[in-house]
Amino acid sequence: MTLGDPRSFCDLAPQLVPLDYTSCPDVKVPYELIGSMPELKDNPFRQRIAQVFSEDGDGHMTLDNFLDMFSVMSEMAPRDLKAYYAFKIYDFNNDGYICAWDLEQTVTKLTRGELSAEEVSLVCEKVLDEADGDHDGRLSLEDFQNMILRAPDFLSTFHIRI
Amino acid sequence: MKPSKACQRYRSVRRKPSQHYLYQESLLLSNLDDSFNADETGDSNDPEQIFQNIQFQKDLMANIRCRPWTMAQKLGALRRAKEIVLKFEGRLTRTRGYQAAGAELWRKFARLACNFMVMFIPWEMRIKKIESHFGSGVASYFIFLRWLFGINIVLTIMTAAFIVIPELIAGQPFGSTASKTIPKEHMASAQDLDTVWSLGGYLQYSVLFYGYYGRERRIGRAGYRLPLAYFLVGMAVFAYSFIILLKKMAKNSRNSLASASNENYTFCWRVFCAWDYLIGNPEAAESKTAAIVNSIRVSGVVTVCLRVVANILVLLSLAGSISLIYFVVDRSQRLEQSKKELTLWEKNEVSVVVSLVTMLAPSAFDLIAALEMYHPRTTLRFQLARVLVLYLGNLYSLIIALLDKVNSMSTEEAATKNNTSHWIDPTIFSATRMAPEEEKWSTPGPGIGLPRNSTWAPEEASVPAYTLPLSEANKTTVYTQRPQDQCWETYVGQEMLKLSIIDMLFTVASVLLIDFFRGLFVRYLSDYWCWDLESKFPEYGEFKIAENVLHLVYNQGMIWMGAFFSPCLPAFNVLKLIGLMYLRSWAVLTCNVPHQQVFRASRSNNFYLAMLLFMLFLCMLPTIFAIVRYKPSLNCGPFSGQEKMYDIVSETIEKDFPAWFGSVVGYVSSPVVILPAVLLLFMLVYYLQSIVRSLKLSNQQLRVQTQNASIAPSVLYPAAGSQHSCSSISLNASPPLLTSHPPPAARIQTQEESSKRLQKDSDLSSQLSSAHSLTPQSNGTVVNLDSSSSRSGRVGTVAQRTPPSPQPGLSSPSSPPPGDPPPCSSAGDRRENRSCSSVTQTKRTEDVRSEPLYRKDFQQMDRPLRGPGLPAVASRGPRSHAPRYYIINERDSHQKTHPTFWPEGHFRMDALEDLVEMCPRTTRQAVSRAPQQGPSPQLSEEEEGAPRREPVERSLHPQCLTGLQGAAHFYVGDRSESRTLAPEYQGRVHFKSWDDGFEAPLDRPVYGHRKPRSRNFQSAQHPPKLRGKPKVEPSLTESDSMSAASSSDQQNGGDDRCLQVTRSQAKFPRSVRQLGKRKAISRQELIADLSDLICSNV
Repeated sequence: MTLGDPRSFCDLAPQLVPLDYTSCPDVKVPYELIGSMPELKDNPFRQRIAQVFSEDGDGHMTLDNFLDMFSVMSEMAPRDLKAYYAFKIYDFNNDGYICAWDLEQTVTKLTRGELSAEEVSLVCEKVLDEADGDHDGRLSLEDFQNMILRAPDFLSTFHIRI
Repeated sequence: MKPSKACQRYRSVRRKPSQHYLYQESLLLSNLDDSFNADETGDSNDPEQIFQNIQFQKDLMANIRCRPWTMAQKLGALRRAKEIVLKFEGRLTRTRGYQAAGAELWRKFARLACNFMVMFIPWEMRIKKIESHFGSGVASYFIFLRWLFGINIVLTIMTAAFIVIPELIAGQPFGSTASKTIPKEHMASAQDLDTVWSLGGYLQYSVLFYGYYGRERRIGRAGYRLPLAYFLVGMAVFAYSFIILLKKMAKNSRNSLASASNENYTFCWRVFCAWDYLIGNPEAAESKTAAIVNSIRVSGVVTVCLRVVANILVLLSLAGSISLIYFVVDRSQRLEQSKKELTLWEKNEVSVVVSLVTMLAPSAFDLIAALEMYHPRTTLRFQLARVLVLYLGNLYSLIIALLDKVNSMSTEEAATKNNTSHWIDPTIFSATRMAPEEEKWSTPGPGIGLPRNSTWAPEEASVPAYTLPLSEANKTTVYTQRPQDQCWETYVGQEMLKLSIIDMLFTVASVLLIDFFRGLFVRYLSDYWCWDLESKFPEYGEFKIAENVLHLVYNQGMIWMGAFFSPCLPAFNVLKLIGLMYLRSWAVLTCNVPHQQVFRASRSNNFYLAMLLFMLFLCMLPTIFAIVRYKPSLNCGPFSGQEKMYDIVSETIEKDFPAWFGSVVGYVSSPVVILPAVLLLFMLVYYLQSIVRSLKLSNQQLRVQTQNASIAPSVLYPAAGSQHSCSSISLNASPPLLTSHPPPAARIQTQEESSKRLQKDSDLSSQLSSAHSLTPQSNGTVVNLDSSSSRSGRVGTVAQRTPPSPQPGLSSPSSPPPGDPPPCSSAGDRRENRSCSSVTQTKRTEDVRSEPLYRKDFQQMDRPLRGPGLPAVASRGPRSHAPRYYIINERDSHQKTHPTFWPEGHFRMDALEDLVEMCPRTTRQAVSRAPQQGPSPQLSEEEEGAPRREPVERSLHPQCLTGLQGAAHFYVGDRSESRTLAPEYQGRVHFKSWDDGFEAPLDRPVYGHRKPRSRNFQSAQHPPKLRGKPKVEPSLTESDSMSAASSSDQQNGGDDRCLQVTRSQAKFPRSVRQLGKRKAISRQELIADLSDLICSNV
């Protein structure tokens, strides 16, 4: 979290967000504005990020949600917390597991649809093969943490600077 | 730097076990109540409790960031925690309050200081800006550059403080001695641009180079030993670089978990860690996407011949570049000898050629690599390796050529002096040279400038006379004109500095031309061009991280190589790096796009550092070689007049230290000490090596265990959950039972694994090989020597005694133990007559219960419950519990056959471990029954493989079985009527039932049960449709199925609740308690029933 947070939140929607936050805390900035932030606009997972951190999963964020997002994505956030939220971000259907469909979504977003369907399914298969510890055909949080915490550059890449 | 430190701090905070636990728990539970339950209880007046509560709240506050709560929750929790702390802290002593306040103040101050310090980290903001545009890959280049800058600053300080400044302050002033004066003939051109440019003239006779430093052993009033300092600092430069590099590498490898594990998550990482969330630039995002697509796509085309051609081309170009450099050095040498005045080009051609080669060859390699059509990643690796080899080859050919030149220089020098031909072997010269040398230097005494001049004067005078007879008159005149030019150290230093300068110029030029002007061209002319400049041919310059890093490494290698001969080289490098930092960052931000093949080198990656270390080592070699091999120049530099440069050390020890020190050093450096020391080192290395190996092994095993443990919850806790009621009693009775959960699970898994191995291995050996959870099973009998339970002496005794006992037949009910009531306990009877068996079985279960297996209190609880309940159970006989009773029965009878092995005392003592141990035993027994019913009551040797695999599956099964439907069990009964079924069949059926029952409630189906099933499908000749079979089975009676359904319903309900229990151990007791309360007494029979099972299973 930096000091710049609330200000940039205001900057997103100056007409919506009051400067004085002591009285009316219930203002939501729509996803369209969140997703067009320079920090997020090139991120293929921006929608997911917004959904995960927004209260009701629609991507519209209050200041608290906004702060949440950047506190998790900050450099200072602990590894496990990042892993937890990364899991949530990649869990597209919110069922608590990263299943093949989630993986397909991830790969497609990541590659902007440049891979053919076979390639995508091959990649998903491989991913499941590698990380699925209990062989149930989907990644649980434990599987995911186990895998992601060993990644050499997860910490350095999974953060957003504001 | 600071953020990372801060991160570390937080991480270390989190690492404290208790907090970590808290955090884990909170992650899993994600509820607030849990952590606030303790708050209210802290209302008492016990100061210790208050203090603990406050500590708890403070922990909460410190770790609030670690919890996946929303901001509102966090704020609320924080507020509450602070309130509580404020409220209760007053009740404690005042000093504690002050302490806390002071700590808080200090924390704030430290944070402020931290923030303040960030401003002093050079280029922090710049790097962050780059990072946020181009991602961490590109930023890592700049961080590496900054780190190198730091090293060079230290090197500069070292050389400046100990060599340059003392020499400037206390040394002989410029012009006072021959080695510090510009010769008259050069005086005129000393200020010419080309002289200065080629580092001649004033620069040559300055502190920049080795030759300037005086040879007086002590300078100034303080008697500073400059030559000694020079030598020591020269060595310290290497030593410091080594130490700092290794330290950094060690730190990096500590930081990254990945280096320790060889687990392969390539695809996972490519998918989940691929996106750099820092990227905030559309172009960077685009090329990142391309990079990801590249990395995911696996290229299939292999064209061998092209690759061979490519490699040949690369080798040719490498050889070409090396020979070119050698040729250029040679040529420059010849030019120098033949010409008096050299043109600018001739003076600089060596370094220009080297720089050109280093700049152009990588691009050529790039083109060649396109031929090979490797996978991009492989291409990158090849490219890196080739470029590294090229750089090294360049440096080496340069230094070898230079040293060659040095060799001939000293030869010529000797030739002029000794009045002999040039072409005689240098060794003779050194021999002949020494004699006059020593005379000359011994007379004037060391360290006096004037006498030396005087000694030189006659020589100079005499040289022309001597050289007259020589054929190459012009050459010798050159030498006579500048005797003090013959300073090979200065020459090498000059070449290195020149190389460094020209390299810098080329870098600047390439950045400007290749990146900037190309960028301008592409950007502004693409509208008017025939094709799309931005996407087709010239495109924008790419920022090639790997190659740029290699260039930095190469640059640093040059510095290390030349630092001894030119003490100011590190200082120059500092300037160069500063310039490079600004230039590159500007170029990156203005006109570069990141490399498409993104090079995986994060900050925690040791790749750069390994290359740097490699470079350091290889660059140190020639320097050390030159120092050791060559005689220092006679008339310049701090070591002039000595035979070897390192003589200065021994000389100092001799003269300036007390005699005893000299003798000590003499002894220490004698082979008597050195050899054993080397041997000792070797032994140490070997020892450490073996330790590493064993650690690796244990690491591996631990990993297996942790994997099992992570799987275990799904295997075990459902079982634990299904025990709902039972555990409500048993757990209350013995809470530590909880701790015994994981081991069995682990053991089960390893059994599983070993069972796979069994197919090739012998039973015992494979069991032993799974070292952590030993389950040695001597033929047919079950002796479970769990590692966790092996702590108790009893198990050991069992292990010893059981082997003689039994083949399965003996431990089976067919040989009923004395005093065990009904004769219908034999397997056949039981199966034929179910009601009978049910009665007897229940009786036996009572036996089991009354056995010393459980704690006393537990027994007492059971007995009254069970006693009257007996008939009820009997009437309920065909219920699903019956088969379970079988299982217990089996164990029971087995125990009865060896009653002496189970003395009560032992059981009370190690109830836990015993409980742990029971499970496999019972299951094993249950399995061993299967073959028994077949035509051959005892297992033949060949068959043992199969049933031994069974218990493994079985050992999984009963845990789940306890809470489950009876279908499977009935099935077993049915199966017993048709006795011809293979043992695998039974095992599989159990699995089926287990699956059926658990697929729904179980969140994560178990690792274990998949594979066995598939194996069974293969091995047994039953159709894969078996899944539905229990329902189809006609022999099931109505009541059977009904009771099965009902019991499974009930118990599945329990399962669900208990599944949550398993989610967190902390919650376990509570939920169990709740469950226990909820259970009606009428169900307690069942509860107790199950509890037996569970206890024996757990």
